Amino acid sequence: MRLTRVRLDQTDGTLRQPGRPRLLDGEAIAGTGVFLMLAALPAVAGGYPVYILPQYMLFGMLALSLGLLWGFVGVVSFGQAAFFALGAYTMGLAMQQTASPINPAYLGLAASLALGGALAGVIGYFLFSAGVRGAYFVIVTLALSIIVEQLAVSQSQITGGWNGMFIDRMSLTFGPLGEVSLYDDAPIYYVVLAVVAATFALLKWLSRATFGKLLVGIRENEDRLIALGVRTALYKTSAFALSGAIACLAGAFYGTHANFVAPSLAGVLFSTEVVVWVAIGGRGYLLGAFLGGVLVASLANYLSAIIPRYWQLALGVIFVLVIVFLKGGIAGAIAKLLAPRRRSPAR
Amino acid sequence: MTEILRTEQLTKRFQGLLANDGIDFALASGELRCVIGPNGAGKTTFISMISGHLPATAGSIWYRGERITELPVTARVRRGIVRKFQTPSVFDNLTVQENVELGVLASARRARDVRARIARVLELVRLEEAAETLAVNLSHGQRQWLEIGLLLANNAELLLLDEPTAGMTVEETAATGALVRQLIGELDVAAIIIEHDINFIRSLRAPITVLHLGRVLVEGSFDEIERNQEVREVYLGAE
Repeated sequence: MRLTRVRLDQTDGTLRQPGRPRLLDGEAIAGTGVFLMLAALPAVAGGYPVYILPQYMLFGMLALSLGLLWGFVGVVSFGQAAFFALGAYTMGLAMQQTASPINPAYLGLAASLALGGALAGVIGYFLFSAGVRGAYFVIVTLALSIIVEQLAVSQSQITGGWNGMFIDRMSLTFGPLGEVSLYDDAPIYYVVLAVVAATFALLKWLSRATFGKLLVGIRENEDRLIALGVRTALYKTSAFALSGAIACLAGAFYGTHANFVAPSLAGVLFSTEVVVWVAIGGRGYLLGAFLGGVLVASLANYLSAIIPRYWQLALGVIFVLVIVFLKGGIAGAIAKLLAPRRRSPAR
Repeated sequence: MTEILRTEQLTKRFQGLLANDGIDFALASGELRCVIGPNGAGKTTFISMISGHLPATAGSIWYRGERITELPVTARVRRGIVRKFQTPSVFDNLTVQENVELGVLASARRARDVRARIARVLELVRLEEAAETLAVNLSHGQRQWLEIGLLLANNAELLLLDEPTAGMTVEETAATGALVRQLIGELDVAAIIIEHDINFIRSLRAPITVLHLGRVLVEGSFDEIERNQEVREVYLGAE
């Protein structure tokens, strides 16, 4: 062991040690509250909200996948919709395997996770190892969206082309213990809620672990972190792979919930919407990204019904206003209001 | 003292410019060495090749008996060679404590005693009172110390300090001198310091290597260097 480490380890106990991290921070507590409210919702509001909210929650999960990348690593991806659509198509193809001895829905979910993680891992490895950063990464991910959309159109014998693909609702099977059908809205609502909440909890935990702290270090000053011996390309690749797996899994659930997937789900327009959700919600906060996905998608749906010709314009104006006046998004503004002021510099 | 670093005929050429021309250099474990010379002498190029930020055109670098000439930056850091840049490079939007924590985590992902090590480093670099301050709000001198703290947290064995007192007040420079002497004395790290501040160099009372036009002009104590006619002509006399 190096002498430096030995000496740095020595402390006589009289030093003022940095504060012990709390088990739950404000965002985790707020997130718990949000998910509890979502869990209580079917008891007070049935019908359309219970039908449509799982889709918005899955958009929120998709936004979480970008929140991990953009908020923690500082890398913007315009390819999240491509992973989302790939997950939905994978689920659709799996659900057609009715002769499978294993529940085809389980096959679809596992294949989506594996496909999203592997594809993003391979792309990330080559890009990040080659030192691709900033706008160049954005362009590659944008191209990914276009490629997946074009593949979905051109491989119409598999995907249904522009007509899209029908996907049946999944059910949960427990071997000899029986089966839970998710054909009704309430059961799938709770399954989606559980998956999204678990994803939020996983990412929240990771953000507080060494992995998350080093990702933040990459965002803040990658060159400094490299000079401290961290192979940042590996961390960025891991984050992108995790992000791709989450987006793909969200797409798989979306496909089986919406019963349909079409090429536009992978398109540049939808990819851009995901970026808008996260920017408005607050890219530095997982809960901001999630709520951005849920609320902005809901708002877009509402606006498209009342002003069908101008809803995208209205959304664009909101986006610009948030970028100009609330650089950290809505969550960032709330956090700024609630957070204690950092101490003035001790000089 | 055992030799920790050796360069043999270390050369760096940038197209037509010969920045380092066959530098032979040796550093002992726990030794502090100052590298001085006029602007363009090749000082920063020299430590950039040692840290791995620049590839050598020719020659070799040996660290604890191992040839490291072709190793990437990260591999050299894992062996204990860490570098402070001319302009302080820290994590501006994180607190001082979070900065040092990254230094610890970068060297030991599963360190159990992170908090104790952070506290020790903050004490060493005299930033305990600023632990909760954002790095961007620190004074220039404090940012320089914070960067040194990052290196210490990172298990440094050989510190490469590029102008650690640049932009500092007289008081901060004096405190930095005391800090460097303390680090060498207490932690048994070796260090190469590039500096232009002759008073700071004098205060360190360390052996000096003078570079000129990419070559080692002379090596010796401060008094020997000060008396050297060639050094007076190319560097000291010019001041």
